[in-house]
Amino acid sequence: MKKQKKGFFGTIAGWGRRLFRGGSAELVDQMEANKNDPTKDVEEIVSPSRQIVRGFMERKLAVGALIVVIVMMLTVFIGPLFMKNYSDSYTEVTQKNIPPTQSMMSVPKELKNDIKMIDSFGSFSVGLSNAGKVYVWGSTQMGTTGVDMKDIPQEVKDAKIVQIAAGMDHAIAIDENGKVYAWGVNKLGQYGYFDPELNPSILPMPDVLLNGTIDVNNIKKLTCGYQCSAILMNDGTLYIWGNKNTYSNIDKFVDKTDLVDIDFTLSYVVGLTEEGTGLFTGKRGLLDQYRANMNTSASPAKQFLDGRKITSIYATNSNVAMLLDDGSMCFSGDFASGALPMPAMEGEQIVDVKAGSYHYTALTDKGNVYSWGGNVLGQCDVKESAKGATRIFGGSYQSYAVNENDDLIAKWGLKGYLFGTDSYGADIFQRIIQGGKMTMTIGAVAVIISSFIGIIIGCVSGYFGGKADMFLMRVAEVFSAIPFLPFALILSAVMAQMDISENSKIFVLMVILGLLSWTGLARLVRGQVLAARENEYVTAAKAMGVREGAIAFKHILPNIVSVIFVNLTLNFATCMLTESSLSYLGFGVTYPRPTWGNMLNGANNATIIKNFWWQWVFTSLFLAITCICINLVGDALRDVMDPKSDRDQ
Amino acid sequence: MGKYVLKRICYMLVVLVILSLLMFLIYNLVPNNRAYTDAKDDENSQKQALKGLTAEEKKDWFQKRYFEYQCKYGTETNNMLVRYGRWVGIYPLYDGSFNGLLQGNFGYSYELKGDVIDVIQEPMKNTILINILSTILALGITIPLGILCAVKKNSKFDRGVQVFTIIGYSLPTFITAILFIWIFCSLLGWFPPSGMKTPGSNFEGWAYWKDTLKYLALPLITMTFCSMGGMTRYVRASMIDALSMDCIRTARAKGVKEKAVIYSHAWRNALIPIVTLVVGWFLGIFAGSLVFENMFGLNGMGKIMIDSLRKTDFDVVLFLQLFYVGMSLLGNLIIDIIYGLVDPRVRVGK
Repeated sequence: MKKQKKGFFGTIAGWGRRLFRGGSAELVDQMEANKNDPTKDVEEIVSPSRQIVRGFMERKLAVGALIVVIVMMLTVFIGPLFMKNYSDSYTEVTQKNIPPTQSMMSVPKELKNDIKMIDSFGSFSVGLSNAGKVYVWGSTQMGTTGVDMKDIPQEVKDAKIVQIAAGMDHAIAIDENGKVYAWGVNKLGQYGYFDPELNPSILPMPDVLLNGTIDVNNIKKLTCGYQCSAILMNDGTLYIWGNKNTYSNIDKFVDKTDLVDIDFTLSYVVGLTEEGTGLFTGKRGLLDQYRANMNTSASPAKQFLDGRKITSIYATNSNVAMLLDDGSMCFSGDFASGALPMPAMEGEQIVDVKAGSYHYTALTDKGNVYSWGGNVLGQCDVKESAKGATRIFGGSYQSYAVNENDDLIAKWGLKGYLFGTDSYGADIFQRIIQGGKMTMTIGAVAVIISSFIGIIIGCVSGYFGGKADMFLMRVAEVFSAIPFLPFALILSAVMAQMDISENSKIFVLMVILGLLSWTGLARLVRGQVLAARENEYVTAAKAMGVREGAIAFKHILPNIVSVIFVNLTLNFATCMLTESSLSYLGFGVTYPRPTWGNMLNGANNATIIKNFWWQWVFTSLFLAITCICINLVGDALRDVMDPKSDRDQ
Repeated sequence: MGKYVLKRICYMLVVLVILSLLMFLIYNLVPNNRAYTDAKDDENSQKQALKGLTAEEKKDWFQKRYFEYQCKYGTETNNMLVRYGRWVGIYPLYDGSFNGLLQGNFGYSYELKGDVIDVIQEPMKNTILINILSTILALGITIPLGILCAVKKNSKFDRGVQVFTIIGYSLPTFITAILFIWIFCSLLGWFPPSGMKTPGSNFEGWAYWKDTLKYLALPLITMTFCSMGGMTRYVRASMIDALSMDCIRTARAKGVKEKAVIYSHAWRNALIPIVTLVVGWFLGIFAGSLVFENMFGLNGMGKIMIDSLRKTDFDVVLFLQLFYVGMSLLGNLIIDIIYGLVDPRVRVGK
């Protein structure tokens, strides 16, 4: 290497550099520059902390683990900020136990430009092409029954279908000759023959549908609900059948002959009679308060209608929308607090309405499409491209807009669940993120508490020795004699009996975890302090007249901080695991608040473990990967910080 | 040595007293009044006999009954120390008699309808059986594995095992259990997922053992797997320490066979920390089997404890907790004594 000549300005610049960056940095620069020159080789001087960082960086596995831990932490602490619609106690009966899928809105290619109709009620959708061919998409596996809705019966494939409807776990189709087909689950009377004597809770399928045909041109409406179905004819004849337990007022509809419209909510059948003066439910006081929009106040039906007539009805899970003869809409039923109200459609006439599980989609005569109602899963985010639609379809959580050429021009709503849903119907992905926040917070706070106690007791005990040491170590021994898991279990069980709020229970849980796990750290710190006490710098501090407490906490503690740090890391993983075990056993944090432990609570029998694998695989993976990575980092740190470990051997 | 053991035992008793008082106080935080419940039960069952009495007399009768029960359970006073003394059996009840732990009264299980000591016997037998079996299995695998890793330190095999053991001890036990149930029951169908014996069966002799083993196999495999991570690392660490001792170098220099060096020179030195670990670990898994017994539906102490906690049958829980604490204290004592016995360098008590 050729020696560089410095000019006058170079020298000045050198001084400046030295002034602002310090002489040592200059030295390092020189060393860097002379690196390849063996004659000027100077052994590098590295501070211990830099040595540790450098040693750590050499371990690829540990660095990878550290990155994973950081990413996990960022995900669980920042992620919840993006989940505005999330609620702990969210349950949805039609979305239970759905496997991971993104196919709930994926209309098959062959159907895309040939749509006759689309319908859905639960987790799958059925579509019908103009040629009379049936398509099924979405989450088609029906729980543990082993039924797959995609297995369309051969006779349905062979027939030319003209009408189709999807229920919760079954589908009904009618062909051009008026023959009615059905497939899916039929354990609870969804279709097929049931002896009314043996199955009193089942309203059997009418004989004419089972063995005969109906007049296709006379069908007014075919609709399915939760394990129930209904066919309404133009002359008012109603065929209705299904599980009586899900629709308690279904009996009132059996002999009805004057209905002009019918639909299913989640728990009631609602009908509309020819007079159109109110909803028919067969129960007094049910759905008889109407309102102009979802957020306006309700008034009794007669008063509200004031002579207007209801022309058609559309039911979501918990409420019913009615189209009146003056073109306006009104609503009846329960509305979730976060539901979007119906937008103002000035100068437009509503042509068609479709009802999903919680949302409504309406098409106006100007070709505009509006969605309103429950928007928890993005059902109301209408796509721009939906403008100009001539027909709309929808159900459960999806909406589709179709133009005059039967082409699909827009679809919006729920695509599916990344990690599936749990047995309450909640999105597991969201719960994992939210639960991770809780798990990590509990772990972190518990570690902070235990370290705080451990460091103070260790320092005091190690530095002062004598009687204080004797007493504190006896206390530590009492605490370490407590069997951890049983004791934590009992404390949380006792706490569950007491009348305190959920938040303070969680706080007490953190304190319990912290209180039970400080002894190890206290012993470690004590040992370190005992060794450090004999060092020269302590003697120097003493000679200078520094107070004893200041020596222990200000002089000695910083010197043993690396050991504490390693312990902190490993302890964090342990606390997380303990919390998870507690919550898993049903103590600790309890449902509906999610933690990684109690989310696995349901996975304690072979049926769930086998059939609903997504309910435990993802949560376990998150918990396991986090713990493994934290332990890897802690392990690597310990090895790097320990001067005795000779990893090059 | 004797003096040291005596000192340790005295100290252990003090800790036991402190902890039992602590636990007793915690239990009394739970609002339940057994005397009141029993008196109410009596009143309900004797409705016929009480029919003729006036409301005032009925109240008197109930108060008398309630007081009798309070005296029987020793809860007529609000002084917690007195109640604690009665529970242990060092303070007389209202009628002057003693009836506590020291007299052999461990409480009554209201859920299982029997004295706690009778209720607990069968599960305790099961737990001990399972724990002994899993200890033997775990030691049989981890010791050779740990030695092998130490001898082939930093080889590919060793590194692989190291990662594997980190995973082993980082995984929560219940996740391992879920995983194993999934693999061995759902996918392979080798073992039944839960229970102690074939339902409704009444095997005897060899058939009984075969059946029991079939049901215990999966819990045992899982428990062994869970404890392998930590144990292997420990054995490896102490073996590495032992292998770097001077005596090993001397032995090798003398030309002793490598096998003899490892198994008779190094292993004996490594054994000291391992023995203490094994004792502590064996006692520790009593508490650890809580999760397993619940996962696999084994009728053991852990399951009884969780069930009793859920049904707030606190006499059983209190006894079990006392047992766990006693076990852990006893374990510490045994470790100390064994440490003194195996390692002559440790002059305990001096």
